Amino acid sequence: MSLSPRDPLVVGRVVGDVVDPFTRLISLKVTYGQRQVSNGTDLRSSQVLNKPTVEIGGDDLRNFYTLVMVDPDVPSPSNPYLRGYLHWLVTDIPATTGTAFGNELVCYENPCPTSGIHRVALILFRQLGRQTVYAPQWRQRFNTREFAENYNLGLPVAAVYFDCQRENGCGGRRTS
Amino acid sequence: MEEVWKEINLASLHQRRQLNIDHEPLNQELPPLSSSTQHGSFLPPPATVLSLNPHSIDTHFDESSRFGCSEKKRSQDSDESRGDRRHKRMTKNRESAVRSRARKQAYINELELEIVHLQKENARLKRQEEQLKMAEATQHQTKKILQRSWTCPF
Repeated sequence: MSLSPRDPLVVGRVVGDVVDPFTRLISLKVTYGQRQVSNGTDLRSSQVLNKPTVEIGGDDLRNFYTLVMVDPDVPSPSNPYLRGYLHWLVTDIPATTGTAFGNELVCYENPCPTSGIHRVALILFRQLGRQTVYAPQWRQRFNTREFAENYNLGLPVAAVYFDCQRENGCGGRRTS
Repeated sequence: MEEVWKEINLASLHQRRQLNIDHEPLNQELPPLSSSTQHGSFLPPPATVLSLNPHSIDTHFDESSRFGCSEKKRSQDSDESRGDRRHKRMTKNRESAVRSRARKQAYINELELEIVHLQKENARLKRQEEQLKMAEATQHQTKKILQRSWTCPF
């Protein structure tokens, strides 16, 4: 089923700022420690220090997937001129398994926003074949749409995002 | 926050009136000045608004002495840039408010979807449990009845 306008990914503007509208085809489960990430979950820097456990669905082990973890609100959500910081890139993930079984092309760098509340999105793409995706040269100015086009990944098959802020942030509210 | 901005702009407006500059139309967002302040002489600002921040009266005195010796043009420019800065700030704040509302709404929508999902799963699991219980009950019954098996010698 395609995304409704009330879908959190649409309301949170992940669809729009990061990817184009797509249809969810594969299940995607992201867990930081004991905490499962659902759209709009609020996490602090300390809670995302280490890479999460990611499990994907599907049914055919011969299909391979790529996971992209990107922050579109860099350096600050009010002025995201560096839009697209690539935090993690894992390719060749077989269906029904997880990132532990894939190829970590760009190693996990924990999100550590300095200003504002950043969205951090995990996008899953289906690969045409094995070893057909390569790492970009830089983490910053990562354009997810362009990346998908370059490696024939098509539209995403799953996505989830969370909100991340610095440790002693006050949720964007003024304290004085 | 809005009150602080109103105070600052009222202060700037008082100065403009003092120097008899009447070029720019008053910003409609500000409350209209009382007629007593339209004369050249400096009058204390209306107590109702500025009483909130006693410091604004001090800055008022400083700025008025400065402006007394500077040219008309310079004060016009800083008035304009002050307006620009205010507009920029307003748009930034507006965008931030939009983002904040979107964040909140997205979270709520996600929770609602999860509720629906969990309710369905709960119903499914309960049905499954019922079925298993019934199956176990009937199985238990059949064990008590002796049955002739086909391996029986007679």
